[in-house]
Amino acid sequence: MKKTLIKTKHLSKSFSTGGDLQHVLKNIDLELYQGDFTVIMGASGAGKSTLLYALSGMDTPSLGTITFGEKVISDMNQDELSVFRRSHCGFVFQQIYLIEGMSLIENVLAAGLLTGRDKMSLLAKARELFSRVDISEETQKKFPAQISGGEAQRAGIVRALINSPEILFADEPTGALNSKTGLDVLNTLTDFNEQGQSIIMVTHDMRSARRGNRILYLKDGTILGECRLGRWVHGDRERHEKLSSFLSEMGW
Amino acid sequence: MKKSLLLARSNLRKTKGQATAIAVLILLAAVMLNLWLMLSLDYKQNFDRCHSRLNAEHVTLAVDENNSDMRDFLTHTLNGDTRAADFCFTPALHMVGSFDFNNGEINSELIFLEKQAALSRSIGKVEILEESGAKSGVYMPILYKSDRIAVGKTVDISIGSNKMSYTVCGFFNSVMAGSHNCSMCALILTEDKYEELKKSGYAPNATLCSVRLNNKADSETCETWLKNTVAARYPTAHTVSNSYALVSQSRYISQMICASILNAMAFLILLIALVVMSSNIMNYIQEHMKNLGVLKAVGYTSRQLTGALILQFSGVSLLFSAAGVGLSYCLFPQLNKMMISQTGIPYQVRFLPLPCGITLLLLEIAVIFTVWLSSRRIKKVEPIVALRQGMQTHTFRRSRVPLEKTNMPFILALAVKTTLSDAKRNITICITMFIVSLIMVFSGLMIENVIADMTPFLDLIVGETADSCINVEKNIEKNFLREMQTDPRVEKLYLYSSVSLRHVDGLELTAVVCDDFSKVNNPGVVFEGRFPRYDNEMALAAKYAGEQKLKIGDEITVTANGRKSAYIISGLTQITNNLGKDCLITRAGYERLGKLPNTSYYLNLTEETDIDNFHTEVKKRFGNDINAAINVEATINGASAVYISLMMILVIAILLLSIVVITFVLFLLIRTMLNHQKQDYGIQKALGFTTGQLILQTALSFMPTVILSTLTGMAVCSLIINPLTAFFLRSIGIVKCTFTVPLGLNILGGTGLILFTFAIACLLSLKIKKIAPKELLTGE
Amino acid sequence: MKKQILLTILLLFLAEAAALVFFAFRDMNPPQDAVLINEAVHTIQADWKQIHEHKNPTPLDYVIIDNDGAVLFRTKPGLSESLNAAVIHRDTMLDIQADGQTVGKLLIYNDNSRIFLRQKQNLLFLLTAVTLLQSILCAGYTFYLNHSIVTPFQKLKGFAERIAAGNLDIPLEMDRQNLFGAFTESFDLMRRELKKARQAEARANADKKELVAELSHDIKTPVASIKAVAEVGTALADTDRLRNHYVQIIRKADQINTLITNLFTATMEELERLSVTPLDMESREIRRLLENADYLRRADLPAIPDCVIYVDKLRLQQVFDNIFANSYKYADTPVSLSAFIETGYLIIRMEDYGGGVPPEELPLLKEKFHRGQNAGQLDGAGLGLYISDYFMKEMQGELTLQNGAHGLCVDVHLALSGTFKDYLRIP
Repeated sequence: MKKTLIKTKHLSKSFSTGGDLQHVLKNIDLELYQGDFTVIMGASGAGKSTLLYALSGMDTPSLGTITFGEKVISDMNQDELSVFRRSHCGFVFQQIYLIEGMSLIENVLAAGLLTGRDKMSLLAKARELFSRVDISEETQKKFPAQISGGEAQRAGIVRALINSPEILFADEPTGALNSKTGLDVLNTLTDFNEQGQSIIMVTHDMRSARRGNRILYLKDGTILGECRLGRWVHGDRERHEKLSSFLSEMGW
Repeated sequence: MKKSLLLARSNLRKTKGQATAIAVLILLAAVMLNLWLMLSLDYKQNFDRCHSRLNAEHVTLAVDENNSDMRDFLTHTLNGDTRAADFCFTPALHMVGSFDFNNGEINSELIFLEKQAALSRSIGKVEILEESGAKSGVYMPILYKSDRIAVGKTVDISIGSNKMSYTVCGFFNSVMAGSHNCSMCALILTEDKYEELKKSGYAPNATLCSVRLNNKADSETCETWLKNTVAARYPTAHTVSNSYALVSQSRYISQMICASILNAMAFLILLIALVVMSSNIMNYIQEHMKNLGVLKAVGYTSRQLTGALILQFSGVSLLFSAAGVGLSYCLFPQLNKMMISQTGIPYQVRFLPLPCGITLLLLEIAVIFTVWLSSRRIKKVEPIVALRQGMQTHTFRRSRVPLEKTNMPFILALAVKTTLSDAKRNITICITMFIVSLIMVFSGLMIENVIADMTPFLDLIVGETADSCINVEKNIEKNFLREMQTDPRVEKLYLYSSVSLRHVDGLELTAVVCDDFSKVNNPGVVFEGRFPRYDNEMALAAKYAGEQKLKIGDEITVTANGRKSAYIISGLTQITNNLGKDCLITRAGYERLGKLPNTSYYLNLTEETDIDNFHTEVKKRFGNDINAAINVEATINGASAVYISLMMILVIAILLLSIVVITFVLFLLIRTMLNHQKQDYGIQKALGFTTGQLILQTALSFMPTVILSTLTGMAVCSLIINPLTAFFLRSIGIVKCTFTVPLGLNILGGTGLILFTFAIACLLSLKIKKIAPKELLTGE
Repeated sequence: MKKQILLTILLLFLAEAAALVFFAFRDMNPPQDAVLINEAVHTIQADWKQIHEHKNPTPLDYVIIDNDGAVLFRTKPGLSESLNAAVIHRDTMLDIQADGQTVGKLLIYNDNSRIFLRQKQNLLFLLTAVTLLQSILCAGYTFYLNHSIVTPFQKLKGFAERIAAGNLDIPLEMDRQNLFGAFTESFDLMRRELKKARQAEARANADKKELVAELSHDIKTPVASIKAVAEVGTALADTDRLRNHYVQIIRKADQINTLITNLFTATMEELERLSVTPLDMESREIRRLLENADYLRRADLPAIPDCVIYVDKLRLQQVFDNIFANSYKYADTPVSLSAFIETGYLIIRMEDYGGGVPPEELPLLKEKFHRGQNAGQLDGAGLGLYISDYFMKEMQGELTLQNGAHGLCVDVHLALSGTFKDYLRIP
């Protein structure tokens, strides 16, 4: 039995739009396990990102509880959540969101220094991560506007992983990239997952979804179904078909 | 036009906060500007209005003779002169005297008039402003109305070396003799008291001669001429005189100071408002580059877009400068009260269209020009380029303060990065902090030199001061000197007499004669060159020297007692007693023209000596040969209380003002920054930055510029504040200021300013709390 | 930007020129200090009796001679010591008076040559400073030119080489501050257009392939013919395995048929009934519904677990109203309320203290037009619970009745939204 990382109970989230309450997430009971590459799929508007941000403590749920490890994060206030996120969660965004005024290495350090770690060890870790995502020393000194989207997203992954988070949250990480660079990013993520990094990724892209070993299908704010796949192997036809039939079952 | 209006309205809605801040700055500038204009344009005209209402004289002369011979002579003289239009004589009693006022003492040439005689004058009318109906007593000038001097109370008046007590019956207004600043001060006695004083012989009979001129510009020359003519005919008669030019200036010194400060403040605030506005517009253009591109693509011309901005800002500024003008009318009565306590001439607050118009027009023009200037960039926006990429906001040359290398604390390093990335913001901060530093330094200067210890201010305004001034007749001078020199209570004794001289090619000068100028207490009186040392040297008032184009080393010929003599100008002085028509001369120098009729000695007494007792003793010892003994300290206290309270109010007002200004400027900057970098803040929050850290980071990012500009501002202003103050006080004859710049106070002020800015910046960036990382949520 | 730099430099040059001109045409002959000379004269006159003990109080250099031309005092050697020498040297000569008589002459040395020298030095210094400043300016401008023109040009050269080699991926870094940022931009534009052209070519190829695939899909036989063919296949099948395949196909085709039929009949039926339109609602809103229903305040409101339920608010209110009304009518006792979540439902349990109903009547309570034995004279149609039950079913919930410890116990099962019963799991 895998260790449970996040557990939700009746997790619900509603937004009020023009006086009407809109229920984006409804009574979600979910357990996420260590080491998994969980993929959340669903049509747009199904509440995928809302679920991701609620799970990561970026946003607080309207109802229900979220237990992250031992801590109940659904009761925390914004600042407690900030401090919590520093060391437990890593984020990769669709829009990448590197800070424009900082070089890549600075973007990474800005996240790393928050935990108050010693700068030398931090730098060493950053260098190591950078080399793993194949970003050269020279590129590390460049600004986000000077590099390609793929490089930026890989730097984003480095930034997300600098504090060795328990889970890496990825929100459509390849959404803004072209197919070639997107593939690089996916390979990077798979690579990290194989080293034991738990990942939750939101996507509505089949190619990205294929990388996960647990696929959750979200519809109208609830989990419509889930599918467990084995370890990702390039060109595994059976695995691919299983996923395809699951998704067609779900009405994809 | 219509389209521009549409755009302007939508712009305004979007930037409510910024518009408010700019509006407040404009409002303040309008208040200051309008107050200044009202003070400088209308306040002095009030004097003229009052002057003509009371048919007041242009030249007043009081001669200690009251006989028909004298009157005939004056009538003859005045009739024979084309400048004089009309004149009248009133019998009066005249003596040097003093009374207590404002914890001090007023010393002046007192002219006692009988009530009926005073009221029936055809020229120089006196109007009774307050009347108790009491039959016997004294009417005082309205200026002296205070707690101690009020209707029904008793006032002690020293007349020469005697003392009289009168009940105050009321107050009156006299244009030319209603204040100690007029060189003579009228007091009106009821008939019985007048007769009593006349009989007592304390004050000799005199004729008060009031002359109206055809052209008031001749007042000074005519005064000199009349005085000399009388002195030539009656060399022994004591005379005292004033002129329209002298009175109109001396009664309005504080109004001039106040107007100067308001003037400076108004322009400084306007400057800040304009800087803020232009930085705001540049930011607006940068942020809305895409929108501007769209609008251009849709077919708006640059002119329409600029027009919208101009309309937006000029609309706001028109509205708020009008409000500012309104507000200034609410504040004016308070200011008026302060002013009246110095001028002594009542002023009715009323709406003045001219200052109002000038204020509105000036602000409007300044705003439109600034907006036009800073929105020129719109022209350069090419729709395609703007749509495709917006405007590049960062230049990526190199990373300043690279995080991987710096040893700075983390948050500070991030803050410094922000600081270095925005030059425009830094310029705005620099200008603001520089101006605020100037205000701080000026306040410090005033606190140190006027409010805490008045001496430097007095040295500047009054010139020479000592503890006591005793005027003795010539016949006892030797005895007096011998006694005083042996008296242990006298620390220092020197001649310091005023006499009149006439510059051959110019005006009447008041000459101070001193036996040895190295003895004087205030060596700062001569600010350039040196005191006269030899009998052919003279130090001249800088203002007069400037007007006559005389320099140090030039020769000036003066005349007195029918003799002429030339002197080398050895130095320039800036005594303002006679509004810059003074000179200093040695006794030997004066004696080339004639002997001194009586002599005034300045005495420094030991700490423990009671000045008044000392005077009583001296008077007892020498009797009537002592013409007057003046407690200089008390006199100064009486006259200067007004200045202290004026300065206090001004300092508090401008400090409050600078707080408001800093707050609003920071508000604008932080607002802009938050809008501008909302996404970065969101990312940082997502990464795990707490609101506190981000607030600290934001506030800290202002600090390098704030600290640097405050420090340089403080330093530079400390250096230039003296010349600057002199520049603003030049109208009262000050050429060079030598105020001590209070180092401690400035350091304290600077530190306070920096801390205050930091606190305000923290407070204003609390809005970061509202930025939620989830706003990064994409799509859904 | 560039104009400003040029303008600044020009202004600086102008300032230098102005400084030089000002210096060149300055009044080279400053006036003598009359006050100082006056002081000298006066001290000498005062010291006349002991002129040998005279000390010069001024920085002036002078010689004092008596009426006979004898030198009485000199501040230093080398000055003009006679009237004629003084005249030649343009010295200042003044009478010394004592007791009203002219007793001697004061010859003040003319130091114009020294002033001239100093001015020359100043001028030289100024010139040097100006030259230095200009050199710095020129060097700075050269640096600037190098930075803004030469370096970008070299970059451009490398770029052109790459393009020539067919490498179209690397963009040309452009700098908008740069003198010819626009120029480099157009170069980059060229690269992008080239690249785009290549990509367009590749895409056109791919599109063709897709078109072929789609066409083949369209050509596939419609469902009906599949079924027909499958039926034939079943009949003709000789193995079970094959037959099963055909049956599968037929079943699926039938399923579609059934679905359509179902849809049709369901719609026809719904038209006749009360409409129930459930929506998502937060469970806390139930409190208000219960409060509204319990107008006699017979019950304490329970703590309701937070969740989102799938209900029609209006209809649920009717259900609660009905239950409370029944309780008031038949039991007339306090009501105890509780709420809890159980297997996909939020259950609101309501029990009164009326002793309940006979067990045999329990299953009948929800029947249409059924009225309990205790109904007696009380009026009613016997429709309440029937309708409530119908509402609850429409809301994917349920209404259950049983006898509790004290009285009748009604459980209102509210469906939690989103918890589909047929949660699909593929292991």
